[in-house]
Amino acid sequence: MNGKLAVVLLFLPPALFLFTLFVALPMGEAAWYSVYNWNGYGTPENFVGLKNYILLFHDRAFRSALVNNLLIIVVSLAVQLPLAFALAVLVADRFRGAVTFRMIFFVPYILAEVAAGLIWRFVYDGDYGLVAKAATAVGFAAPYVLADRDLAMYAILVVIVWKYFGFHMMIYIAGLQQIDPNLYEAAHIDGATGRQILWRVTLPMLRPTIMLSVFFAVLGSIQFFDLIMPLTKGGPSDSTQTIVTYLYTYGVTRMRIGFGSAVGVVLFLICVAFAFGYNRIRTHQD
Amino acid sequence: MRYDTPVTIAPFLRIAVLLLFAGLVLIPLVATVLGGFKSLGDLRVNPFGLPESWEWDNYWSILSGPRYWHLLLNSLIISVLTAVLTLAAASMAAFVFAHVRFFGSRLLLQYLLLGLLFPAATAILPLFIKIRDLGLLDTYWGVVLPQVAFGLGMSILLFHNFFRQLPGELFDAALVDGCGYIRFFRYVTLPLSRPIIAVVGVIVFVHSWNSYLLPLVVLNRDSLYPWPLGMMAYQGEYSTDWQLVLAFVTLTILPAVCMFIVAQKYLVAGLTAGAVKG
Amino acid sequence: MFERIIATAFALVTSISAAGAANVNVKLLHVEQNPQASGFLKEIARRYAIEHPGVNVEIQYLENEAYKKKMTTLLQSPDRPHIIYSWGGGVLREQVEAGVIEDLSASMAGSWQERFNPAGIQAYTLNGKIYGVPMQVSQVGFFYNRDLFAKARVDAGAIKTWDDLLAAVKKLKAAGITPIIAGGADKWPLHFYWTHLAIRNGGKGAFEAALRGDGEGFAAAPFVKAGEQFRQLVDLEPFQPGFLGVTFPQSSGQFGDGKGAMVLQGNFMLNSMRANSADKKGVPDEKLGWFAFPTTAGGKGEASDTLGGLNGWLVTKGAPTQAVDFLKFLSRPEFQREAAARGFFIPVVKGTQDAIANPILRHIAENIGRSRYHQIFYDQALGPSVGAVVNDVSADIAAKVMTPKEAAQAVQQAWQLANQGSR
Repeated sequence: MNGKLAVVLLFLPPALFLFTLFVALPMGEAAWYSVYNWNGYGTPENFVGLKNYILLFHDRAFRSALVNNLLIIVVSLAVQLPLAFALAVLVADRFRGAVTFRMIFFVPYILAEVAAGLIWRFVYDGDYGLVAKAATAVGFAAPYVLADRDLAMYAILVVIVWKYFGFHMMIYIAGLQQIDPNLYEAAHIDGATGRQILWRVTLPMLRPTIMLSVFFAVLGSIQFFDLIMPLTKGGPSDSTQTIVTYLYTYGVTRMRIGFGSAVGVVLFLICVAFAFGYNRIRTHQD
Repeated sequence: MRYDTPVTIAPFLRIAVLLLFAGLVLIPLVATVLGGFKSLGDLRVNPFGLPESWEWDNYWSILSGPRYWHLLLNSLIISVLTAVLTLAAASMAAFVFAHVRFFGSRLLLQYLLLGLLFPAATAILPLFIKIRDLGLLDTYWGVVLPQVAFGLGMSILLFHNFFRQLPGELFDAALVDGCGYIRFFRYVTLPLSRPIIAVVGVIVFVHSWNSYLLPLVVLNRDSLYPWPLGMMAYQGEYSTDWQLVLAFVTLTILPAVCMFIVAQKYLVAGLTAGAVKG
Repeated sequence: MFERIIATAFALVTSISAAGAANVNVKLLHVEQNPQASGFLKEIARRYAIEHPGVNVEIQYLENEAYKKKMTTLLQSPDRPHIIYSWGGGVLREQVEAGVIEDLSASMAGSWQERFNPAGIQAYTLNGKIYGVPMQVSQVGFFYNRDLFAKARVDAGAIKTWDDLLAAVKKLKAAGITPIIAGGADKWPLHFYWTHLAIRNGGKGAFEAALRGDGEGFAAAPFVKAGEQFRQLVDLEPFQPGFLGVTFPQSSGQFGDGKGAMVLQGNFMLNSMRANSADKKGVPDEKLGWFAFPTTAGGKGEASDTLGGLNGWLVTKGAPTQAVDFLKFLSRPEFQREAAARGFFIPVVKGTQDAIANPILRHIAENIGRSRYHQIFYDQALGPSVGAVVNDVSADIAAKVMTPKEAAQAVQQAWQLANQGSR
């Protein structure tokens, strides 16, 4: 047991130290700062209790951010995942070109969100972009999509689907390939139709895969920042804010440490709520 | 082995749908790459097609200056440091959790894995204050250390899973032979861990390579900018010259695309390894 | 080709290593996008380095919006620039109170201070101490494209009141010309409308009363009325399509490309126009016109009141003394005259304004000289958090998502929040 003590004392502290210093402590401090009104210089002195939280929920821009994050989650689950699954089904087989298609669909995922955002900023540009050109080619006036309060968020949703469907597709392909083909044979022999096989055999077998995909999708949906900034920076008129872009715009750039920390705490609570709910569903199934 | 799909689709229909989606995916990317070869006027009237005349100078002006390479170098330094430190700290911690049972070890592991759930954004402001107070603002370490800390959760999870799947007899045999834990780690575990080291290393590296929020908050000197910050700064400066911006964007995503083509086997395997089994 | 590779490698190596070749490195950060104007600054830096061997003045650029957003975090970094660009006002006050700006009273006392117009020094004096070196003044007014006005048969000289302006907008629209270009994405170009209307409605008195916290402050009648009048303009749909997504540089380029008849901007817009127009020149001087912001009916403000900037340079705490010395060098009358002649900005150094060649800039310089109330941009004067709210509400009125009353109240609320409790 001599080696035991040494390895624990030597191997654990680096991770523990870094994690505590840069993750755990700041999390705690976020809760602490959130009850102050502080601009970052010196120490926080202006205790305001829950004022920051009240201000937050009264702010139109923040409510808009919450709605947008919800919208992203809904679209991810209802549009992106089914799309990814459908394409996975089309591409999971071994046929000539399957791997090439898979790679193509996966490429958007490997790009940095910032780069993807900037590329689509170009696509949507009302003077130089692809959308504008396509519109004028069929006789419409070029739309300024990203400047339109009603359209901008939907435009962003398109980018999100474009960027991540390939990732989920890969997860589904891996899952599909794990299903024993004998199950399909047996089902065929029993006279099941394609649709029945899909619903009764494939999807149930894929449950763990789907759960994983949902996990990544929701967690990712809550965090969007890098993608939004090059596209709209949260505008126009805060119509495309997400929680994190809101935190950056109204907390970081204006050095409102207390207020920004409150946003962080709200984000934290949302993640906790999700983790709870997810665990519930998972243990229920098993 | 052929993987039978649940539904049979006419091959013609399948190819048509796949081509459609492949097109939708590729068009923005191709337009971006080609856009860099056009003059501004050409880009305005012809964003989709081939350049009327190939303007090599857009790309050349970026490649021939130090700015672009500097950005890549900064990103490389930050990402390599992050990856190396994360691999070291995570593998060591995971090793302890996999082999040593002591009071509170389960709790400690849960503690570290909590980091998986929370994005860095939740604590970005206190983190900024902390980095500032440590004097790490405007330094590589100000970006590297927090990134390592936030990456520990997932890395430890993956290492832990992997270590537990290594044959237990190896460990027992080593103990009998009088081999200490640390020696075991160095001479047995690590060599066997090449696949997981590659996977975690790549994931951490890519994540750091693409990260934007943390460097944005921590770094102010443009000589330290990693490429995402540099790209946005370039766009801010040349916002009306889309042909230059597109060339710049293309050049910045080029390393990622190249790395992807080279490493795609490992990347895809790694993403799904342990995930479905999980 | 080969030399280029060597130079790049060398640049990489030297830029990684911490210490530069020079003994003292002074870092200056500015927001001038126009390459000629920034080139001018670099040229002065070069001449300074020649006269002072061993001192290297590094001129760094950061885009306007990014600069404003980063300044708060930037000033906390140990690696902050030594000289920074400033719009004065409440933002300066917060920076001084945070203890990150050097007090220049001692250095400026005497001949250096004498160089400047007293108003310029005043703008950078807080609590009796001088914290910055004033460099340029600007005024916000309507730049217009003479050709487009002629096409719609609008006479700029006849636009004196707000109603005249609205009528002109209708006429331009009827002629199929986009009346006004605006950079809505950056928001502050829109706040000019709201604030200038407030200046016309309430004059100096209303602003000072609001600062004191008298009555309803920023929710008082002149400010609400300003919002209503702005809304009148917005309802005519005068802006270019997609204006809410257009940044200031883009809008300057659009005006330069002749996409719209007028733009309400400061004279610094001219630099931006040249840098961002398709032909890199924009509207040529002889086709460019300018008229002052119209007056409003029953307004308490004077027609000579101006809205604009009084910009300068600050020195951050801990900067080498050469930084202060460089600013002294930069503010030499001969350099200021050169800048004036080449139309880069309107200088504040006494006796240099006659060197201004551009007639519009000359006219503006005279306006400012005559004005008894030169209001600094609200978004800077009121401090960063309140200023940001002014920008937000202006953009919201333009986007028709906020009523004028709500807008004024929001500003008042923000003002109260920022000025209560410990500061």
